[in-house]
Amino acid sequence: MIKIANLSFSYNKETPVLTGIKLEFDRRSTAIIGQNGAGKTTFVKLLKGLLKADEGEILIHDHNVNRKTAAQLARTIGLVFQNPNDQIFKRTVLDEVMFGPLNIKMDKQTAKEKAIEALKMVELDGKLEMNPHDLSLSEKKLLCIASVVAMETDIIIFDEPTIAQDHGGKEKIRQIIQALKDKNKLVMTIIHDMDFVAENFERTIVFTEGKVLLDGDTRYVFSQKELLETACVEAPGITKLAERLGFKDTVITVEEFINLKQTCSPPR
Amino acid sequence: MKSISLYEEGTSFVHDVDPITKLWYIPFAILIPIILPLFTVSFLLIGLSLALLLAAKVIRKTIPVFGFVFLILITVVLIQGMFKPENETVLFQIGPLTMYKEGLLFALTITLRVINIIGAFMILVLTTKPSDLVEALVRKGMSPRIGYVVVSVFQIIPEMMATMSTITDAQRARGMETEGKLLVRIKAFLPLLGPVVLGSLINTKERAMALEVRGFNSQAPKTFLYEEKTYQFSKILQMGMLLLTVAAVVWRIFL
Ligand SMILES: Nc1ncnc2c1ncn2[C@@H]1O[C@H](COP(=O)(O)OP(=O)(O)OP(=O)(O)O)[C@@H](O)[C@H]1O
Ligand SMILES: [Mg+2]
Repeated sequence: MIKIANLSFSYNKETPVLTGIKLEFDRRSTAIIGQNGAGKTTFVKLLKGLLKADEGEILIHDHNVNRKTAAQLARTIGLVFQNPNDQIFKRTVLDEVMFGPLNIKMDKQTAKEKAIEALKMVELDGKLEMNPHDLSLSEKKLLCIASVVAMETDIIIFDEPTIAQDHGGKEKIRQIIQALKDKNKLVMTIIHDMDFVAENFERTIVFTEGKVLLDGDTRYVFSQKELLETACVEAPGITKLAERLGFKDTVITVEEFINLKQTCSPPR
Repeated sequence: MKSISLYEEGTSFVHDVDPITKLWYIPFAILIPIILPLFTVSFLLIGLSLALLLAAKVIRKTIPVFGFVFLILITVVLIQGMFKPENETVLFQIGPLTMYKEGLLFALTITLRVINIIGAFMILVLTTKPSDLVEALVRKGMSPRIGYVVVSVFQIIPEMMATMSTITDAQRARGMETEGKLLVRIKAFLPLLGPVVLGSLINTKERAMALEVRGFNSQAPKTFLYEEKTYQFSKILQMGMLLLTVAAVVWRIFL
């Protein structure tokens, strides 16, 4: 779906932010992890066409991103910004969510239906006429998610969706991601919450200092303890616990841990 | 973030002079030619300002400003040269247009004054960080509130420009065309204004609170973050300018 070759980017000529990125994306749900400042946000903005690459090529559905405006790409690829305040600019919750669908030429009726459907998913359908700036941070973040989900793009990217969310909020986001996966969309998420990664994403890519350090099945990535350390990320707590207890296989979720524990006790 | 101030970093002695002395220079440069209305005096002061701008290596930045000013001054010269009521002595004729001596001399006076004033301001503006100037004034007793307002003006415009590009990104990310033809850009620009103004109002409220919780309104004397910028000859320069002004007045009255 997405092919990236030799991608490099810098905001100012002195400090490169991304260098020589080569990646391909299929429909597997993908988590992008890595320390602060590794270049994750920059990377997805390049995919989205909001920034232009200094070098290299990005092909989405065989179309070169460089030859399209961000607005044209918006039909194919949706991005939920890291900071909700950077994304929200309409006066009411409903307008905010309808903005995208209307721009990609949905008619008003459909746009409204999609908007309300998306708002239901994040349980904001009771606040349609509220000013988005009066929502709490977690609600703003959910609103941003709804406003991109309503566009029903083939590819959808979340930049740290779980920040500021309590357990309930995370659960809503988990369900949304699941629903998108069920619709066979490519879901990509930048995230610092490793438990969430382990439980929701098939593939994980680790960025460090503007390069791809690790890329593979989430279980494989979390088994690479030393490499993870160099990127300043940690495997989920349960993975570390299982390892310390001497489990041979890499365990990434609590359920797996319990199953393994019941079938075979760890060696003493 | 981009800055709207014209200040240019530098290491010249003009940069080293403290902001207050440079501030003094402005009324000095304006008053002297008024007290002594001789062309020689005006030329001398303009020469001095230009020399200082050259020494500070900022003369290139003055070109657009002077360019704009010259454009206006040329119209002044033409209008005064041809139409000033006191015009009597014909200087020369180009086709149907007649230039008179009185008008031209008057226009020359204005031109010199304006260049003089602009030059003096440029020295301050181009070689002084706005925040340094404001801090120096607050040290001299100006209210910190006014100081804050002045500094904010220098920040608010680049901030609005940054907000503008943030919102543009939010719009194009969700399919609104903002690139390409002029009409497209204008259509994208208009809906920006609301959110930008609203956003900066919200920022203002938040900033007021942030200032308040950090004791901006406290009555206690404030400590300054930066060390006071001092220049060893500043007193001498200030006294020198004062003496020269007095001398000019004396000369005007008695000679
Ligand atoms: N607009 C910008 N102008 C200049 N430099 C920038 C800009 N945005 C980001 N950077 C720099 O680029 C680097 C990568 O930033 P980026 O936001 O992509 O990191 P990130 O991996 O998303 O980090 P985080 O986990 O903190 O969100 C950082 O060093 C950052 O300071
Ligand atoms: Mg980021």
